[in-house]
Amino acid sequence: MQAGLLNTYQRPARNRSAVAWSLSALLFASYLLLYLGPIPALGIRFDLFQRVADAAGLGSKWTLYGLLYTVAMVAGGVYFLRRHGSSPYHRVRTIVVVAVQVVLAFALPLVMKVFAGNEYYFSYFWPLKIEYLYPSVILAQPFLILAWSFLGSLLAFPLLAYFLGKRFYCSWVCGCGGLANTAGEPFRHLSDKSAGAWRVEKVSVHSVLFLAVLATAIVWVNWAIGPRHPDFARFAFRVQEWYGFAIGAMFAGVFGVGLYPLMGTRVWCRFGCPMAAMLGLIQKLGRFRITVKKDMCISCGNCSTYCEMGIDVRAYAQANLDVRRAACVGCGMCAHVCPRGVLKLENKPVRFRAGEPIRVYAVDL
Amino acid sequence: MHYVIVGNGVCGMEAALALRGRDADARISLVSEEHDHLFSRPALMYVFCGQLTLRGTEPYDRRLYDRMRFERVRARVRAVHPDEHALVFEDGQRLPYDRLLLAVGSRARPAPWLGASGRGHHYFVTLRDLEGLDHEARSGQRAVVIGGGLIGVEVAEILLQRGLRVSFVIRERWYFPVALDEAEATMVAEHMRHHGVDVRLGAGVAEVRRGERGRLEGVRLETGEELPCELAVSAIGVVPNTGFLHDSGLVLSKGGAVEVDEALRAGVPDVWAAGDCANVTWADGTRRPEQLWYTARDQGRLAARSMLGDEAAYRRGTWYNSAKFFDLEYTTAGWVPVLLNWDDTPLDPGPDVRSWFQRVPGRFESQRVVVKGDRVVGFNMLGGRWNHERLLEWIHDRRSLDWVLRRLGEAQFDEELTTRFRIHPEAVRTA
Repeated sequence: MQAGLLNTYQRPARNRSAVAWSLSALLFASYLLLYLGPIPALGIRFDLFQRVADAAGLGSKWTLYGLLYTVAMVAGGVYFLRRHGSSPYHRVRTIVVVAVQVVLAFALPLVMKVFAGNEYYFSYFWPLKIEYLYPSVILAQPFLILAWSFLGSLLAFPLLAYFLGKRFYCSWVCGCGGLANTAGEPFRHLSDKSAGAWRVEKVSVHSVLFLAVLATAIVWVNWAIGPRHPDFARFAFRVQEWYGFAIGAMFAGVFGVGLYPLMGTRVWCRFGCPMAAMLGLIQKLGRFRITVKKDMCISCGNCSTYCEMGIDVRAYAQANLDVRRAACVGCGMCAHVCPRGVLKLENKPVRFRAGEPIRVYAVDL
Repeated sequence: MHYVIVGNGVCGMEAALALRGRDADARISLVSEEHDHLFSRPALMYVFCGQLTLRGTEPYDRRLYDRMRFERVRARVRAVHPDEHALVFEDGQRLPYDRLLLAVGSRARPAPWLGASGRGHHYFVTLRDLEGLDHEARSGQRAVVIGGGLIGVEVAEILLQRGLRVSFVIRERWYFPVALDEAEATMVAEHMRHHGVDVRLGAGVAEVRRGERGRLEGVRLETGEELPCELAVSAIGVVPNTGFLHDSGLVLSKGGAVEVDEALRAGVPDVWAAGDCANVTWADGTRRPEQLWYTARDQGRLAARSMLGDEAAYRRGTWYNSAKFFDLEYTTAGWVPVLLNWDDTPLDPGPDVRSWFQRVPGRFESQRVVVKGDRVVGFNMLGGRWNHERLLEWIHDRRSLDWVLRRLGEAQFDEELTTRFRIHPEAVRTA
């Protein structure tokens, strides 16, 4: 039994009760206020987050948001470590993902902004942060940052995903995954495990990847021909704007976090994130998998229940199949909660395989 | 062809799936009084403590029953009439069959002591047991868990987590002597005490004491000592759920299990039995039921082949199993000698049997390698995760102790970043 998982289904915030719905509504409202600022149609005529940021002397509401986000991750990280810190994998992973947020995604950009007027988030890459391969953004950066962004997205990430699985990013670096695995931890069991959800996921996440690639291509074409074709330039601008609003703000932010208490923490990562989609495709071809010990599964369902990506891990474990799924972010919770130690995350090139089915014969002892 | 399977547990379900896999047209009926869908019985403890929903413990999507066109009958069977090829339910309804599989599983071994039956006293095997215990267990109560096996430790754990004060009463001199030696059992007991369980070893129960209006007041031990409590749970093993078969003409073992041949046929035409309720031959030649999840599944599949007319023979492979005692995971593989007799006297494992054992200093973790003659024959690993596939391979390959010890780390199956296995020479004991 995992002390951190006790009474999961008895807590109102965690069992889709009215409390959970209220919490979800609160998150939706906060994110809408953050992204939309004043909403005249609802009679909200001022930008609440900006006012608070001004009052606190933080300058921009995005700095305030970054601060709140980081505080949530630190607090959630402490919560997580108290529950699952006995596992070295989870201890190290949590400390790393929180440290990356604090240093690379909060402190460093803030320092840069204050001293250089040019902030850059070193832990975010295209296609998750799509503008980091937009020529207007990236070509204005110093060479080292430009190289960091290009080599990261197009070379290092595919290689790392091949050798380590996409977990190196999704569970160890990324702020979206980081929030999910810290402050969002109490909600991980709410992900939909049905085959229907899997079908939706495959279509939707790869569609967003396609849109991200398409939008980036349009922006680059515009960089080349835009000055001579003002109509195309307007179109490219609208594409950028539309992608940023629909995918970046609404999908990743409003729905991604707003649905935590109802659909679990990885709604964005699972159904929307183009980075997760890209790395997932590479992961399928790569070394990472969850090795399943043969004929040891008791089908209890802890692994499937606590999979934040909605993978029915048990279906693999009870069928003696290693789990190789594009969606798996390698958080490691399935292995951790397995009461029979059946699962192990691995990237070793060759797994051990016994030559013979193990129980066809008994040895005279 | 109408196949009827009594029991909707893992054995019955796997048999039904195997039958459907080979016979698309047959009528297949699953009879169960317990639940409409297969659930994982070993997971009931997680349902009790809110870690899983009962629905979450169901291994298959519920729509599978319709997709496979399994007819389900929710009823209790009163009698089987092999000569008439029919079942009779409690309500008098009859269900004719062409071929019948009995996969009725186990129920808790009834507590023999005075005062056991009635409110406040529980078992923890079936869904009804779970509901009863869940209904009565309240934080702040005192509970006595009786029985030194795998269900006992689970019950002790879940009651403790609910906030009860738990005494764990074990008849034998050390915990779980059919699988653990004294050093291992001592470590497990220490671990349980560390979690706050009052572990009583060598403590036989004399009586469950009840006061006015039958209210449960305590458990009296054979020593005369009384442990006051509001709740008692007996977890002293399971017995085959075969009470309804007594007049059926089937041969039952002394323990109540259905005697079957190697094709799992029950000795009368068109009746098979498999899983917990079937008496099968073990690798050592003894005849006992195998009360394990994976063997129930395998027997169900094999029974299906046999029912379909295949020449099938159930052969028990080399023993392995896993369990969990609070936080301590346990993996065993091969032959590990039992060192304590039923009457608490020591058992001699034989002249050429010895054990390599180490308890990792400062941790609840140990490894034991059992050697017979010059070859490794068994493993008992506590407090870590081990790949039984690898351990069994070494046993089958008749490896020596030195060979195995050099490679033992390769069989470690813990989460990444866990401390690597190593030998602590100062902590090694060989006996």
